[in-house]
Amino acid sequence: MGKKFKKRAAWGMVFFIVLLALSGCSGAKETNTPPSTKPTDTPKVEESEKPAEEPKISGDFEIQYFVGGYGDAWWKEVIGEFQEKYPDLKIKQSAGSQINEQMKPRWIQGNPPDVVYIDGAGSNETQMVQDDQLMEITDWVKQANNVDGENLVSNLIAAPQDFGGKNYTIPLVFGSWGTFYDASLFEDKGWTVPQDWESFMATSEQIKASGINPYIHTGKYPYYIVGGLLNSGFVAENGDNPQILKDQEAAKEGSFNNDAVKKTLSKLVDMRDKGYFDNASYGMNHTDSQMLFLQHKDAMIPNGLWLENEMSKDVPAGFKFGFIPSVMQNAGGKFIAIPYTSNIAIAKKAKNPDAAKAFIEFIFTKQAAVRWAEITGALMNVKADLESSGASNVVKKAMNYFNGSDTIVAPVFKLNADLEQAQNDATIALLQKTITPDEWIDRMEKAAAKAR
Amino acid sequence: MISIKKKMSMTSVWSRRLFILSFLLPTLALFALFTIYPLIRGLYLSFFDWSGGSETMNFIGVNNYKELFSDSIIPTAIKNDYFLIFWKVILIMLLATFFAVALTRLRLKEYGFYRIIFFFPNIISVVVIGVLWSFIYNPSLGFLNAFLSLFTKNPIEINWLGSPNLAIWSLLPPSVWAGIGFYMLLIIASILGIPNSLYEAASIDGANEWKQFTGVTLPLIWEQFKTSIIHIVITTLNGSFIIVKLMTDGGPDNQTQVLGYYLYQMGFKQYHLSYGATIGVLILVLSLITTLLINRILHRDTIEM
Repeated sequence: MGKKFKKRAAWGMVFFIVLLALSGCSGAKETNTPPSTKPTDTPKVEESEKPAEEPKISGDFEIQYFVGGYGDAWWKEVIGEFQEKYPDLKIKQSAGSQINEQMKPRWIQGNPPDVVYIDGAGSNETQMVQDDQLMEITDWVKQANNVDGENLVSNLIAAPQDFGGKNYTIPLVFGSWGTFYDASLFEDKGWTVPQDWESFMATSEQIKASGINPYIHTGKYPYYIVGGLLNSGFVAENGDNPQILKDQEAAKEGSFNNDAVKKTLSKLVDMRDKGYFDNASYGMNHTDSQMLFLQHKDAMIPNGLWLENEMSKDVPAGFKFGFIPSVMQNAGGKFIAIPYTSNIAIAKKAKNPDAAKAFIEFIFTKQAAVRWAEITGALMNVKADLESSGASNVVKKAMNYFNGSDTIVAPVFKLNADLEQAQNDATIALLQKTITPDEWIDRMEKAAAKAR
Repeated sequence: MISIKKKMSMTSVWSRRLFILSFLLPTLALFALFTIYPLIRGLYLSFFDWSGGSETMNFIGVNNYKELFSDSIIPTAIKNDYFLIFWKVILIMLLATFFAVALTRLRLKEYGFYRIIFFFPNIISVVVIGVLWSFIYNPSLGFLNAFLSLFTKNPIEINWLGSPNLAIWSLLPPSVWAGIGFYMLLIIASILGIPNSLYEAASIDGANEWKQFTGVTLPLIWEQFKTSIIHIVITTLNGSFIIVKLMTDGGPDNQTQVLGYYLYQMGFKQYHLSYGATIGVLILVLSLITTLLINRILHRDTIEM
C-alpha cells in the first residue's frame, strides 16, 4: 500500500511539476502578446508622482536609440554629459541594433520611452505619426532654444518635417542623395564632371565609348535611384519648386501625373534606351553595386552621403569620391539636393516630457554636431563649422553645396510605405521596359488614390 | 477478494491514465499555445485594420478579404508559389529517388560518402545557401556567368536574379539543391526496409533493374513517396519566403513575389499587419486544399509486405 501511495504521489508530483512548468510558460507568453485587443480606454499609465509644475528636471527618463552604422559612442557621450547636468535624473538607455523590434510591444501597450531616435530597420516616422505615437511639438519647437541659448530651429540644416501643418519630429542626422563618381578616374580619362542633364548625357556617352558602364544602381532596392536621380528630376522640371515632393508625400491627386513627372520619366527612358544603365544593376543589392562602382566597372552611382563610410574598408588606393547633388537639372539650372534624415521625437505618452524636451535642447548644439561629425563621419542636422573637424571629405564637399546659392535643398519628405513600394516597383519595371511611362504614372496615381 | 482485485485494477487504470496524461497534456498545451492560439489570433486579426504599431485596432469585417481579391499582386504570388511547388516536387523527387535507388540498389562502394555529400546542403543554414547562390548568380563577378563564358566568344552577362523572365527560374536550383538530400534519405530508409528476397524473386522471374524499380521498389515505398511530396508542398508554401527574402525581395517588380514574402512585406514593411494576417489565412487555406488534393490524387491501396 505504502509503495502504491508512493508511486501515486510520485506521479502526482510529475503532473504537478508539468502543470507548473506550463503555467510558467503561458504566463511568460502572455506578457509578450500585445494586448492590443484592448482599446486605449483602459489606460494603465501609472500616474507616478510628477513633480507638480516644478521646472526641475528629475525622475525617470528613458531614451530609445537604434545603434547602426553611426555606432553608439556619440550617444553615450551626450547622455553622460546630460546626466552630469541633471544628477537627479535616472536615465535609462534602451539601445541596440534590434531595439526597434524589442521596444515595439511597449509602444503598442502604451508604455513607450520618453525620447526615441528613429532609425534602422523596422522604424518609420511617418508610420509612427499615423499610429499616433509621437507628441506634437509644433508650438514648442518654434520657440525652443538649445542650452547655448540659440534658437533651435534656425540652427538646423533641414527643418522639422511637416505633417499636414504639424511637427512631430526633428531631423537629427542630415544627409543628401546624389550622384557619386571617382574624381581620379574622371581626371585620368579626361571626362568632364556633369553639371546638368546635357553634360551628364555627353559624359555618359564618352564613358560608354571607353568600354566602362556609365551608370549602375541598386536594383534590388530601387529607392536608391529614386532618391539619387528621379526625385531631383521632379523638382528641377517643376521649375525648381520642391513642393511637388510634398504633394507626392501627401498623395495628392495629380502629383504623379503632371508635366514635371512626364519630362523626368522621358529623360530616364532616354538614358535607358541609350544603354547607359549597367544591366547588372537589376536584382543587385547595395553592397554589390557599390563594389562594382569601386572596381571601376561603372563610372557613376546614385547613393547617399553615407557611401564613403560604408565602403571605407574596400576603397581601392587612389580612389577619390566625388559628389554631385543632382544631374537631372536642365542646362543652367540649379542643383537639387534631396535630403534624407533620421529623426528624433518625443513619445506622445512620455512620462517625463520635461526631461525629454530638456534632452533635445541639450543635444542640438554646434558642439554636439562637431562631435557627431568627428565620431561618425557623417553630418548632424545642425549648421556647424566642420572644416576643422574629422568629417569625411565628401561630407565637407556636400556641406559646401548646401551652403552655396547654386543648390536648392528640398524639404524633408517621405512617401507613405505603400506609395514608396509602388514607386520602387514601377521604376524598375520602367527601366526594364515592361511598362511605359504612362503606365508608371497610372500605377502611381492609383496607388496615391488608395493611400488617400 | 473480488473487490480487492477490482480496486487494484481501478488504481492501475488510473495510474495508467495519469501516466498517459502526463505525456499528452504538456504536448497538447504547448501545441495549443504555439500553434492553435497563433492560428486563431491570426484569423482574428484578419478582420481588423491594424498597422502593427498602434494601440488601437479597427474592426473592418471582411474588408481585408475583399482587398485580397482585388489585389493584383496576389495572383502573381499564387502563380509563383505553384510554379515553385510544381518544379520542386518534380525535380526533387526525380533526383532524390534516382540517387536513393542508385545508392541502394547499385550497391556503390562509396555509398556512405555520397550519402553525406548529398545530405550536406541540408545542414547548411538556408541563409548561407541564399547568400552563396547570390554570389554564384552575380552578373559581373559571379561563378555561373564566368563558367558559361568559357564556352563563348563574348563574355556572358546574364542577369539571373534581375531579369523579369529569368528570376523565378533562378530561384529553383538553390531550392532543389537544398532539398534533395533530406528526401533522398527518407527514400533510402524505406528502400532499405524492403526484404531482399523480393528482389531475388523478381530477378529469377527475369525482371531487369527498371522492372524491379517499377514493380517492387515504387509500390513499396509509395507511402514514403507521398509523404515526401506533401512535405515539399507544405514547406514550399510556408518556406519559400526565406529564399525570396535573401535573393530577390520579390523583385524585379514582383516577378518573384510569393505569398510568404508578400505577407512579410505587407505586415512589416508596409505596415498592414492585419492584411498580412489575411494573407496568412489564404496560405493556410491553399495549403489545406493542395494537401487534400494531392493526398487524393496519390492515393494507392497500401501494399502489405
